[in-house]
Amino acid sequence: MKPMLALWKGELLRTARDRRFFTLTLGMPIAFYFIFINQVGTNVQIAGTFWSEYFMVSMAAFGVVGSSVNTLAVRLATERKSGWVRFLRTTPLSSVGYTVAKILTQLTLSLLIILVVFIVARFSQHVTMPSVRWVEILLWLWLGSLPFAALGVLIGLAGNAAQVLGTLVYLVLSMLGGLWTPVQALPTTMREIATWMPTYRFAQPAWELLAGRPISFVSIAILCGYTVLFVLVAAWIGRKVDTRPEI
Amino acid sequence: MTVVVEMEGVTKLFGQKRAVKNVSLKIVKGSAAALLGPNGAGKTTSIAMMLGLTHPTRGRVQLFGGDPSSPQQHVRLGVMLQGVSVPDRLSVLETINLFRGFYSHPLSLDRLLVASGLEGDARVMASKLSGGKMRRLQFALALAGDPEVLFLDEPTVGMDVTSRRKFWDELREFIAAGKTLLLTTHDLQEADMVADRVIVMNDGEIVADDAPERIKMEFAGRQISFVVQSDIDPQRFKMLPHVIEVKMAGRQITLRTTDSDTLLRTLILDQWDISDIQVTGGGLEDAFVRLTSEAGALI
Repeated sequence: MKPMLALWKGELLRTARDRRFFTLTLGMPIAFYFIFINQVGTNVQIAGTFWSEYFMVSMAAFGVVGSSVNTLAVRLATERKSGWVRFLRTTPLSSVGYTVAKILTQLTLSLLIILVVFIVARFSQHVTMPSVRWVEILLWLWLGSLPFAALGVLIGLAGNAAQVLGTLVYLVLSMLGGLWTPVQALPTTMREIATWMPTYRFAQPAWELLAGRPISFVSIAILCGYTVLFVLVAAWIGRKVDTRPEI
Repeated sequence: MTVVVEMEGVTKLFGQKRAVKNVSLKIVKGSAAALLGPNGAGKTTSIAMMLGLTHPTRGRVQLFGGDPSSPQQHVRLGVMLQGVSVPDRLSVLETINLFRGFYSHPLSLDRLLVASGLEGDARVMASKLSGGKMRRLQFALALAGDPEVLFLDEPTVGMDVTSRRKFWDELREFIAAGKTLLLTTHDLQEADMVADRVIVMNDGEIVADDAPERIKMEFAGRQISFVVQSDIDPQRFKMLPHVIEVKMAGRQITLRTTDSDTLLRTLILDQWDISDIQVTGGGLEDAFVRLTSEAGALI
């Protein structure tokens, strides 16, 4: 417990000093929010709600996916390559402790990103809704970010390719999942593809909550499916990477 | 005697390559052992197995009588590995504190800064340290948990002379406190200084395992050196019994021999015109070179 908390604290301190995190992972969704709100207009109706609310959820999801898929993957790949992970394995910190610390760090950052996007939307576009709904959407986006943390771990195993792969997966998944352009505005084929994207299944329940509809279980099932897939592939590749001869 | 590490018939294969071949060894509490060998001899792989970082293909490795990969076994351990760089965006002080957080009874921050000689660099970002200071920081991290046992893989690589001296002083203090040390090094002089046991590995096997004195005696032989007074053809010394090698530096002649007593007697009884006779033991380096490069011919 104590080693895990020590690592968690260290990781948060490192993120607080990470300029890349603030400009890209946190800055990009907020910049996009302002740009697309101004282009489309605040009071446009979409999927039973307002564009300013709908796109607030899109950008919170976009930020969380970026922090998990891109930032986490690059960091894990760097730590592996630098021998730091190997070094940590000689300390009383268990591999479970290491993983839990990483997940806690990720959850803390996700919470921060969601809150910042919500606050920006609340005060710039006067987004209002009952407190319960704020909390529901916050909790869904927060816990629903875990599959993407698993994907980040998976991409983190790609070594030198992690940076490029992470950025690519982050942007492609966000685009195909309808986080930039809403699926309602996409051609039929693209819309069909979107329904199979983890990003769409991550944001869709939150959009439903905005319109006062219940969360779809199909989305939860598909997200769970992706999580299991990411974890299994990561575990399989991880074992291969770890048994490679060292120099 | 408490056994800290035990390897029993351990073999490690990487694909077709046998990195470690049927190695058995025991490290007991309170010993200071040096693991020597050329690159690729299997030292780092052996240490990795002792720490549970890789698993043996065959045989058994135990750390404190338990599974080396279990985190509980690492509580009493301090480790310096090769090729590790610390994470960015943490200062020296924060990195040390992170490691102190891993242990229930860590050494004080001041003590660790002094031991590593990094008092002046506490606020510097750890990833920006020079090679030598980075190594010293890793020494501080190894000491963070007030360990009973230190595993140091090539600890002094990149350190300058002053850092090295300070490092060995700290290490001698550590050994004097009755703690256990296992280190690998290329610097044989340093191994000779601190180790009470030298384990020489070559091509995945242990080729010698003894006190440094005995290894030097057995494998390096002795040297007799003297100054020749008149013009003696140095090649004539090669004809003498038990002489392995003749080295010349001006009038100074050094003979490497397998039996210094007999050779000395011969030199004196035959009334060679020589003076300033000195008999010395061969260095660990000689022993090491012979053990590793001439291993096949020797054994």
